[in-house]
Amino acid sequence: MVANASRVSVAARWLGLAALLFGLIPALLAAIGGGYPFQVAITALIFVTLAVSLNLVTGTAGLLSLGHAGFFGVGAYAAALASTKLGWPFPLTLPLAAVAAAVVGVLVALPTMRLISIYFAVATLGIGEMIHVALLNWVSFTRGPMGIRAIPPIEVLGLDLSGVVGGYYAAAAVAAAGIFAVHRLTHSYYGNALRSLREDDQCAAAMGLNPVRLKIEAFGVSCAIAGAAGAVYAHTASFISPDSFRFEESILILAMIVVGGLGSLPGAVVGAVLLIVLPEALRGIGDFRMIAVGVFMFLSILFQPKGLLGEASAIALFRRQLGAAWRGDIQAGWK
Amino acid sequence: MTAETLLEVTALSRAFGGLRAVDDVSAQIRKGELVGLIGPNGAGKTTLFNLISGFTPPSSGTVVFRGRTINGLKPHQVSRLGMARTFQNLRIFPNMTVFDNVSVGAVGALGYGLRHGFFGGRARAEEISARTWAALERVGLAGVAGELAANLSYGKRKYLEIARALATDPVLLILDEPAAGLNDTETAELARFIKGLHAEGGTILLVEHDMGLVMSICERVMVLASGAKIADAAPAAVQADPAVLEAYLGIADDEEVA
Repeated sequence: MVANASRVSVAARWLGLAALLFGLIPALLAAIGGGYPFQVAITALIFVTLAVSLNLVTGTAGLLSLGHAGFFGVGAYAAALASTKLGWPFPLTLPLAAVAAAVVGVLVALPTMRLISIYFAVATLGIGEMIHVALLNWVSFTRGPMGIRAIPPIEVLGLDLSGVVGGYYAAAAVAAAGIFAVHRLTHSYYGNALRSLREDDQCAAAMGLNPVRLKIEAFGVSCAIAGAAGAVYAHTASFISPDSFRFEESILILAMIVVGGLGSLPGAVVGAVLLIVLPEALRGIGDFRMIAVGVFMFLSILFQPKGLLGEASAIALFRRQLGAAWRGDIQAGWK
Repeated sequence: MTAETLLEVTALSRAFGGLRAVDDVSAQIRKGELVGLIGPNGAGKTTLFNLISGFTPPSSGTVVFRGRTINGLKPHQVSRLGMARTFQNLRIFPNMTVFDNVSVGAVGALGYGLRHGFFGGRARAEEISARTWAALERVGLAGVAGELAANLSYGKRKYLEIARALATDPVLLILDEPAAGLNDTETAELARFIKGLHAEGGTILLVEHDMGLVMSICERVMVLASGAKIADAAPAAVQADPAVLEAYLGIADDEEVA
């Protein structure tokens, strides 16, 4: 699978993706008319970025993370605070958000990476909640529940991307960069190393891989991309509050990669687009739409245990992660 | 005459609560040897194996590999020193292709980090790929390289595990019960294969529950019973040893007559 495709076809595929993201899709959105389709597209692209980043940790490396929205929040707040308080422009707040989320991610990962399976999942759930509570209660710094308003729109080197169309291009560029970074990693031997952790981390260690180091690296990269998505969100929404970075959002991101297929990059993209666009497309049926989305998720996991395009079964992964705690061979949550 | 000592285990013990799973075992393996380690169920073979490969820390005693004390090293560190293992109950990476499974061994030994992943690392990737193909060809799985590992037959998975270990280019290869679950024909084929690896200069420790395979191919056999080493000699001498017979059959020769 690795390095088999010729370089020409790889380049052609990336060009095709760029044409789709920056040409065809915006043209279609413009054809529908109004700002609303672009608004939905921006949200979809932000969640595509988040799903792609979570896919690296959960889909490829097999670490069930339930607090991903927390790192999205760290990025969003870092960008919002730097731009409102220090006047930093988007080209600076974007890397800042990525670095801030990665630093927080790696710091919390250090003590939790030795936790196994379900204990790791519970720890990430706690971390996500801690970040939410910190954003909510550290009023002097984050303004707490009032949130941060009037976050300046995106401007890159004099190019004004303040409208929804401009916001779309910025979100598309960040999503494309995230996809590219994760694709590079997962389609290399590094990706094989991460996959082997998902399959059997003890066995991977016996082959000379350092599981703790690999997990921390994957977690850091994943959090950095989630933080970048946070910066896009802060600048395009112009208002953020802790409510956008709760457990529900973490679960939504997880649902996207499960529906799309764990470990599959196109799957993460498709899953994110489906779970953002579907509820919008179903507005016609009113409150029933969330039920319809739920039924869709249920059926997709029932009939496609590996997701639409996945390489590993979500049910098997969760069963193994959850089941490990009850198996006799593991004495405690630490390894 | 005597070749360089590769692995030296001295007074190695491991207790789990009150149970001494491995009790004061000393042994050594020299370069180029094909050594068998046998013992009845529960004799402590796998525990000894885990002590050597860094999966379980010893309660006391030392393990010296290639002149370096390796007690307390993590499994990946032991592996990088050139000790490769397979697992008793077949541990392959089922949702990865045969090629990708084996490549993990090469990645572990040669290293392919985040930096290589991001910035290409083309030279290293070619090295890994060459080594992976070589290991696949050695075990005869090159033809199914693109197949998902989960789709392989049981027998082929055994070879997949060996190929993955070979891809680390080990100085010492430890096979944990490779014949378990194989029929007589498959076992004979495996015996030929292991002999071939040995003939190419490989140093191999074969941990087996079953005597047949070990007795037929090993130059030297160590016997473990109740955590202690009770014999360490050529196969013929071990087979004639009354202590070994008692450990295996639970009865001494004279009782058998009565």
